[in-house]
Amino acid sequence: MLISTENLTKSYDLGAATVRALRGVTFGIEEGEYVAIMGPSGSGKSTLMHILGCLDTPTSGRYVLDGSEVSGLKGRELARVRNKKIGFVFQNFNLLPRVDLLSNVALPLVYHGSISRAERARKSSELLSSLGLDHRLRHRPNELSGGERQRAAIARALVNEPAILLADEPTGNLDQKTGREIMSILDDLHSSGRTIIIVTHDSNVAAHARRTVHIEDGRVAHDATNGGATREDATGKTRREETL
Amino acid sequence: MNILESVEAGFRDMASHKGRAVITVIGIVLGVASVVAVLALMRGGEEQSLAFWEELGGLRELRITNTHLDRLMMTAAEKASERLTYRDAIAIGEECPSVSYVDPEITRWLTVTYGDLTYQMKVLGTTGHYPYADEMPLAEGRFLCDKDAETYANVVAMGPTYKEDLFGDEEAIGSTIILDGVPFTVIGVMEKKEFYFQGEGGRSDRNVLEWFNRSHYIPITTMIKRFTIDDRLGGLEVAARSVELVPTLTEEVRTVLTRRHGVEDFNIDAKTERIQQQAEQMVFFNIIFWSIAFVSLFVGGVVIANIMLASITERVREIGVRKAIGAGDRDMFVQFLVEAVAVTAAGGIVGLFAGLGMVAVVEGILGMPTAVTPAILLIAFLCSVSIGLVFGIFPALRAARLSPIEALRYE
Repeated sequence: MLISTENLTKSYDLGAATVRALRGVTFGIEEGEYVAIMGPSGSGKSTLMHILGCLDTPTSGRYVLDGSEVSGLKGRELARVRNKKIGFVFQNFNLLPRVDLLSNVALPLVYHGSISRAERARKSSELLSSLGLDHRLRHRPNELSGGERQRAAIARALVNEPAILLADEPTGNLDQKTGREIMSILDDLHSSGRTIIIVTHDSNVAAHARRTVHIEDGRVAHDATNGGATREDATGKTRREETL
Repeated sequence: MNILESVEAGFRDMASHKGRAVITVIGIVLGVASVVAVLALMRGGEEQSLAFWEELGGLRELRITNTHLDRLMMTAAEKASERLTYRDAIAIGEECPSVSYVDPEITRWLTVTYGDLTYQMKVLGTTGHYPYADEMPLAEGRFLCDKDAETYANVVAMGPTYKEDLFGDEEAIGSTIILDGVPFTVIGVMEKKEFYFQGEGGRSDRNVLEWFNRSHYIPITTMIKRFTIDDRLGGLEVAARSVELVPTLTEEVRTVLTRRHGVEDFNIDAKTERIQQQAEQMVFFNIIFWSIAFVSLFVGGVVIANIMLASITERVREIGVRKAIGAGDRDMFVQFLVEAVAVTAAGGIVGLFAGLGMVAVVEGILGMPTAVTPAILLIAFLCSVSIGLVFGIFPALRAARLSPIEALRYE
């Protein structure tokens, strides 16, 4: 089990009222799975993604990522986990505007520490080339198309060889054709064994995944392998763990 | 992320915002430049004043003068005292172990006649050890000696201005001049002594040492025998055998004179004290100078902090991204602090050159004395670096404390 969460809750204290964004989320993701997390806005989907991505910490509950508990970690340790275990792909790419693609992709390696400059450049350019950007290494993000930017962002997410790739509406800022290109890249990554989690409200995007988790009102409302069968029906093993 | 990469990132950010960078560093440039100028002016002033004191005479001398006493308020002991006399001078010479030489002095204005010229001129009765003898080489002839004093010789060494008044360009040595009806043989002419202060408007025309040039010197014994009714002195100079012995000698002289006078009716001034007093007076100006420099630097620092805060607002997304991909709070703090220091240090270097320019202007146009030392440049540069450190902390803390979620959401 690569990811397992147990009764995750998250509350925001807004003084007058307490907002309970997550009300007990329990589910697991195996290594190599391709999962879409869906839900209407306000469902707690983003909060769950932030916690899974170690950008935020749960109010209560357990979160075990790649064999180690991360729910109790603070600032610096959490930053290490983000750096080593998680690759983020954002809706709006979030590349640094003032440096070229090579430096953008190499950035996680910089914070990884103890990787030589030459090694960083080698790894980054390899990844960029494998995503068809070998002619864009020295270009800045604003000189590229949206699809090229998102491909660079995927390269950056992969450069530290993370345990999971966490994509937040990866096609949200792209036209349909380019969106399909990006999704086929994610599909390929899944085929080569990557664990991918996509957060989206677009069912066409979610359809690429092998499993969809619906979040509603801070809880897992529905968890099914794509094609109709519910998660419980698909694997008895998962059911056992979920009912723990 | 190591420091070098943070520095690089800082400079890259500066380079991509050239206009902003220029505005940012202007404050620091001006601040550092004024520190350089202020320190150079202060140092120049100190050097000039030291040079003046060196020209005036050695630092191991004490000047002893009579205290001013109000006749109507004098105590019996004060009335009984003879005040400073030539005999006091002899007693000091004999009884004080730390003394090198004693120079009693009596000044009179006498009628001086040569040929058909007659002037009122200042005449100093003194000894061969006239205190400034070392610093006052003779233009020609010789100065008074002990033998002149022992024999009450009618000999005179002339100040250069007086010599010109009486003789013009003619040879004076060996001639006879008449002081209050008594003929004196001219044995020497002093070299002209000059010192001009540098001030606002360039070198002053006023020779502050001209009074040295307007004196005749005769043996003090002759002065007492011929022109005074007693041996009371205007004052006397006492030299210690070394600068370190000045405080000891002061006490020895005080003991001897108090015993002889029965009361302490005299002042003892060390020149070192005078220099110290002068330095203390300068403190006030130094405070003003420093305040000006400090205000410039402070304003520069506030500008830095302000612009960095603006730049952080502009770069919230960048901070969010960096944090999402693994930058810790500390990494962000260091990055922004290093950026601030890099900017101010660069401004500091420009400021050093601007400061040297300001110094050249002050020296060249205003004519004030200045002196630039490596220490001054180092201090000014360190000022710029510490401004970056101090004023970079707040923006850097803000960058470090930004929540990555909110930073990523920021539009």
